Amino acid sequence: MIELSHVSKRFGDETAVDDISLRVAKGKFCALVGTSGCGKSTTLRMINRLIEHSEGDIILDGQAIDAYDPVKLRRRIGYVIQHTGLFPHWNVARNIGLVPRLLKWSATDVQSRVAELMHLLGLPVDEFGHKYPHQLSGGQAQRVGVARALAADPDILLMDEPFGALDPITREKLQDELAKLQARLHKTVVFVTHDMDEALKLADHLVVMREGRIVQQGSPLALLQSPADPFVESLLGGLERGLKQAALTRVKDHMTSMGPTLPAQSRIPGTFSLRQALSMMLRDHSDRLTVVDQHDVPVGELSLRRIIKEAQLDNGNPRE
Amino acid sequence: MSLMDALPTPRLRWEGWHPNVVLVSLSLIMLAAFWLLDVVSMAPNRIVLGTGHGALEAFGWPGALLATLLLSFIGILACQPTHRHYRALLAAVIVIMALMPVGLMASSYLLIDPEMPQARLGMGAAYWVVLFVLLLCLVELRLRLNLTRVWPTLLLCGVALMWWLCAAFGLETLALVQEFKARDQQFLSAVAQHIKLVSIAVSVSIVLGLALAMLMRRYARLQKGAFAVLNFLQTIPSLALFGLLLAPLAWLATNVPFLAQLGVSGIGTTPALIALIGYSLLPIVRNTYTALEQVSPDTLEAAKGMGMRAGQRFWQVRLPLALPVLLEGVRITTVQAIGLTAVAALIGAGGLGTFIFQGLGQAAMDMVLLGALPILMLALVVDAGLGALAEALRPGGTR
Repeated sequence: MIELSHVSKRFGDETAVDDISLRVAKGKFCALVGTSGCGKSTTLRMINRLIEHSEGDIILDGQAIDAYDPVKLRRRIGYVIQHTGLFPHWNVARNIGLVPRLLKWSATDVQSRVAELMHLLGLPVDEFGHKYPHQLSGGQAQRVGVARALAADPDILLMDEPFGALDPITREKLQDELAKLQARLHKTVVFVTHDMDEALKLADHLVVMREGRIVQQGSPLALLQSPADPFVESLLGGLERGLKQAALTRVKDHMTSMGPTLPAQSRIPGTFSLRQALSMMLRDHSDRLTVVDQHDVPVGELSLRRIIKEAQLDNGNPRE
Repeated sequence: MSLMDALPTPRLRWEGWHPNVVLVSLSLIMLAAFWLLDVVSMAPNRIVLGTGHGALEAFGWPGALLATLLLSFIGILACQPTHRHYRALLAAVIVIMALMPVGLMASSYLLIDPEMPQARLGMGAAYWVVLFVLLLCLVELRLRLNLTRVWPTLLLCGVALMWWLCAAFGLETLALVQEFKARDQQFLSAVAQHIKLVSIAVSVSIVLGLALAMLMRRYARLQKGAFAVLNFLQTIPSLALFGLLLAPLAWLATNVPFLAQLGVSGIGTTPALIALIGYSLLPIVRNTYTALEQVSPDTLEAAKGMGMRAGQRFWQVRLPLALPVLLEGVRITTVQAIGLTAVAALIGAGGLGTFIFQGLGQAAMDMVLLGALPILMLALVVDAGLGALAEALRPGGTR
């Protein structure tokens, strides 16, 4: 668990981070969103003490971070940065094994851990282990960056715009992979991004920052339903907000169980989002869809009326 | 379609014929030098100025013809520059260089009267021009064949071996060989002394330079001042610096007996080393500083964020990444020091410069060469060796 209470950071006369408080529960994914220079990166780097905070308390697992040795603290926190920061003179395997080696694991343990992580991130050891960072594509390099951060199995992962430098297709792919990884590993993640869609897609808890202050925080749905001010609303995409909200809601949570008869209509898997359901209705000129399970067996029905009604009732409910 | 496209293109008569102009011209220069300049000179003794002899006199008809053929061969091959031809050209250049001492043996046989034991053969202008132009050919070929520094250097070592063998067995009449034979012990100790001075100066500079560069990184204020001083040092002519050191060091030696015991004196090795170190510091410090500063901040930030301690960050990340540029500084410094050490002979520090200045004093050009040629070769070998090392140490095999 990470808890920041009334934390500020001043550089000389300038206040980079101004009295922020936030709490990330164990195993949750928290995204700090805001325009550049809003203090989100600074906030992140105060957690692993790359920047020392000026005021307030940062508590990690019940203990103030000032009580830790900064080096030991960093070794138990995974850290991923935008341009990967891989060591160009080390091959992939050596890069990933860095923190375990710093923690003095045995050579065989390091080796098997590296193999395990590379497998987890879809980089076969035989093909990539001996490659150097400059021989990797942007996406591959960032996968290595993530693997390196996960190497010593830290509970906490700090990610500073990890996908910011990637092309949109690779970025989306890595976002999906990260979401899957998180569903499996349940790390406590603090993720900095200026891309609201990325944050909405990945986060359990969204923190919107502006000029060093927290403007609003809460679940993605809560923010979408009631943005605190025009700034948050514009970040959330203005008019597109409704669709973004629909994208976060799964069809199977809003369907009605199937009636006795089944009219012929388009089918949609229950795991799809309401946004996809709306799109399908527009495409097929229909206001009803049949919801099916993974074996394509009908399990329910979704109507346009219901989507609109549910959107009103949903206020403030967390995702899932 | 524009008007230009509609017009018939004027067909060149020599279309598809792209000679390597550089090599063809170099071949022509060598041929001209060979036929127009003196190939060798012959002097009855050491003091008298030699008389020049052209190609026919030096090599005789068959020899001159063979040499002409070999030199034209380069131009002819260069007219159709394919990869195979470039390889053949490389072989030809090396063969010609290796045959040059054999040519001298021929001239010696043709020109020197066995009744005159003092007579000596000197290499004429044509010889030097051809040798120099062949080296230029080698540079061009290295670029065309995309070779690293190592191969040409190895081939040149082979050529040097051939020259040495000829000089040792059968070129007693060559002036250079005579100069060497007259003082072979002195020559060897001069080479040893030269290498000793350079290695001490460079190693001390590396240690001092590294320390200074690190201090500069820590104390930004030091940086401006130190670079100003080092830049100023570089602008003092070497001879003047040796002179400037004379007085204070002599004073120290007379007033502090302990230092005198250590070998400090106004002339000799100590002032030479001080001056050499002074000159060597700037390139070392500059390259070390730049090398350490150019390491990507992202990489260092990641190293810190991963939990590496300051020492680990320096030794495992910053230094290895800086090493190629740092070594480049060592290379430049060493080559510069090899040349500067020649001047140190003037204040009695010994080394190969001794022969240069003695030779100048006695108007014996061959003796000057006895000092200058090894300096040149030393510089070339060090340049190639350290260059190859820096290349091999590029991070992660990035080329």
